[in-house]
Amino acid sequence: MYSTVYSGALLGISAYMVEVEVDVSNGIPSFSMVGMLGTEVRESKERVCVALKNTGIDIPPMRITVNLSPADKRKEGTAFDLPIAVALMESLEFFEKGASKGILFLGELGLNGEIRPVKGVLPIIKSAAQFGFKECVVPKDNALEAAVIPGIKVRGIADIKELLGFLSVNVEKRDELFPAITVDIDKFFREANPGEQPDFADVYGQESAKRAAEIAAAGFHNILMVGPPGAGKSMIAARIAGIMPPLSIEESLEASSVASVAGLIDPKEPLIRIRPFMSPHHTVTIQALTGGGSSMPRPGLISQAHRGVLFLDELPEFGRNTLDCLRQPLEDKEIHIARVAGNITYPADFMLVCAMNPCPCGYYPDLNRCKCTQTSVQKYMGRISGPVLDRIDLCVLLHPVEISRMQDEKKGESSQVIRERIMRARQIQKKRFQGMSISFNGDMSSKEIDRFCKLGEKERALMENLYKNLKLSARAYHRILKVARTIADLDESDSILEKHILEAACMRLGGDGNGNF
Amino acid sequence: MAISEHEMRKAYLYAFSWVYGPKNRFLRQILERYGNDPEKAFFQELKGNPRYERDVFNEYMDLLNKGINVTFITEDDYPLRLLDIPDPPFAVFYRGKLPPDQILSVSVIGARDCSEYGKYVARILGEAFGRNGINVISGMARGIDGIAQKASMDAGGESYGVLGNGVDICYPAENRDIYDRLSINGGVLSEYLPGTKPLPGYFPPRNRIVSGLSDAVIVVEARVKSGTLITVDMALEQGKDVYVVPGRINDRLSDGCNRLIKQGAGIVISVEDMIEELKNREPVFDFSCRGYDQVLGHRKAVKVDRSIKTFLPDPDEKKGEIIPMNDDEKAIFDELDLNPKSIDDIAKTLGISTPQASMLLMSLALKGAVKQVGAGYFCLKI
Repeated sequence: MYSTVYSGALLGISAYMVEVEVDVSNGIPSFSMVGMLGTEVRESKERVCVALKNTGIDIPPMRITVNLSPADKRKEGTAFDLPIAVALMESLEFFEKGASKGILFLGELGLNGEIRPVKGVLPIIKSAAQFGFKECVVPKDNALEAAVIPGIKVRGIADIKELLGFLSVNVEKRDELFPAITVDIDKFFREANPGEQPDFADVYGQESAKRAAEIAAAGFHNILMVGPPGAGKSMIAARIAGIMPPLSIEESLEASSVASVAGLIDPKEPLIRIRPFMSPHHTVTIQALTGGGSSMPRPGLISQAHRGVLFLDELPEFGRNTLDCLRQPLEDKEIHIARVAGNITYPADFMLVCAMNPCPCGYYPDLNRCKCTQTSVQKYMGRISGPVLDRIDLCVLLHPVEISRMQDEKKGESSQVIRERIMRARQIQKKRFQGMSISFNGDMSSKEIDRFCKLGEKERALMENLYKNLKLSARAYHRILKVARTIADLDESDSILEKHILEAACMRLGGDGNGNF
Repeated sequence: MAISEHEMRKAYLYAFSWVYGPKNRFLRQILERYGNDPEKAFFQELKGNPRYERDVFNEYMDLLNKGINVTFITEDDYPLRLLDIPDPPFAVFYRGKLPPDQILSVSVIGARDCSEYGKYVARILGEAFGRNGINVISGMARGIDGIAQKASMDAGGESYGVLGNGVDICYPAENRDIYDRLSINGGVLSEYLPGTKPLPGYFPPRNRIVSGLSDAVIVVEARVKSGTLITVDMALEQGKDVYVVPGRINDRLSDGCNRLIKQGAGIVISVEDMIEELKNREPVFDFSCRGYDQVLGHRKAVKVDRSIKTFLPDPDEKKGEIIPMNDDEKAIFDELDLNPKSIDDIAKTLGISTPQASMLLMSLALKGAVKQVGAGYFCLKI
């Protein structure tokens, strides 16, 4: 008897549909599986057989052939256990023929017959909905995740027994006996409580660094913080995601898809509501950062930081090659990875926040404490590749915190207050870039800068003065304008004024003209 | 090629230098053994010596063709001041000129990683000396040395750099511009053979030449443990006057200076005062006491010319009154000094917001009144 059941497989953060065909016929008893299978899929044979046996289903000694089609694409992961089991049971007529029609199955089997969660449910179900599937069966723990996709009925099933029950009842009675899982996304997002995140009020002093963080978050500018150990660089970085506007549903779906592929979705939290904050250690490999893997590339940290913050602490300690890999994703907001299994594109639209000590000992420019020579300071700075620095709009120097600041009763502004200002600035940007491919000041290219950063007579003269006096490069000139645009937006000013330009110039990279910071 | 007798002597001496390097005492002894006749010494000592199978004249011409000159302790153009020090170099290689004996020369030395204050003092001292025809001698190092030398050349003076490597190598490489200018507006000197790489051990000995070529040594900034203080020790050993620029007592970069003051060094309180001081000193070098007069019978001590032009200070300090600024800018300007301060500190002291402070500081920086030393630090520009 032949039967066929549908499932899906990941291709980056999109998916393609897989047809699982099972044929049971007379002949020498065997169980063979074909269709360019990875190790996990080949092992699925054992899991399926034992799980069925332990549920009380006996597999007769016959010739069983399983094919996963399209057979020329490499299949990986454990999600095919369930569709194979379903197709096998259908072939053996454990339930009525056609009961599985139009349903997409995903799930891993335990030997006791339970259905376990798998990776990538969100993107697979999303694609399934696009392919026209109206119903799907997923592990109970993945049900909420699948339910965020509209237009497809989601059944969360716990084990094979329940599944058999589901497939055996009349189609009309299914909704009554096995209600579809639903999630009210709007309500879910309204309930979002970002208050659990670290707050800016906890950071002592460092007003200019906080200000720079605010500007960076408002305009989606990449930022570099330079300061001695213990000044609060990491604290500020960890709080930047919290002052960015809450994730929109579209943004969340993208970020959640990546998290789903990486297997990072919490069963109780189907969608990511808090902006991701990724802080890789400086020993991170290129593959871990950009994504990769031997066969089907997995998303790297830059993709997991999609719509959030990628924080690189101790920037000069990162391998030069590793940092250079960020150049293209910083430009394109996505990363293309080519492997045997195919070319994958993962989204990688993150805000880059970097932190570093000013010199190997950490205390420059305090010459009383700094033990480094001018050469070693410059060498330290020189470890960072120019092209990466080129993509950093803002640079701010932190100083050691004085005791008086820590004992100061007065707390700093809370993240809440800062976020409100930022949201107003983002609103302005949203209007400005309506119908364009970019959405933030930080994304502007020189063409857009010319269009949106119009200067008055006085401001032009000031920029000219800056350009000559500070020996700016053309790129630095544009960066100052971009940042000035954001500062003006924060100020809710239509035109860029002198004060905005001056403040932006103060935070430029290479402040001392010697190529330091 | 025709070559003068004088050059012939140098060619032979160069051969000795080539074989033995800076073994100054040993080389002098050899020469004395042959009655200071390099030709004789060469044919007795080096001719046929497997360590020197070269053509004496070609080697010497090659050197000259590279733009490098050389003088030796027995020669007439050897700087007289060096005869006055305990361990004079046997050979002095140089590009450009040798410091003239009759012109007052001062060495300005100090830390490589100097503060803004040190940079400022080095600059105004260098400038003043340059404008007044006083030669500045130093080590062409990063920081104080290079800044003072550059300032003196900028002001139209001459400067001489003594290197711890061959004169054909520019070390540190970033002082390339100073190196190139020194060959024109002064000279680059070294006791090491051309091609000698800069090694740590070569620098302390060169310091004795820096102080040896000077009539006075001025220390701008020095930590307690530093190469600068080695130079000072050498200067004291050579009987030179040492002046130091005082610093704050909590400043590690001035610890060395302040300690020297405690030990009785002269103090630089202003450029005018320094110039006055130098004008009134008696000549300090008198080589006749060392017994070299037999060797150099015809050479006598030269009187150093101390006639110094009128010195006019730059109206630098009055900047605050010249540059137009509004009241807010003035308030910030008054708050700043030569020690870099962070924007946050300035904003806190004045009770204004950080954006406001950075705006005002940047505007002052554009007017040339203050200087940004990093993304968040500012100090007065002088």
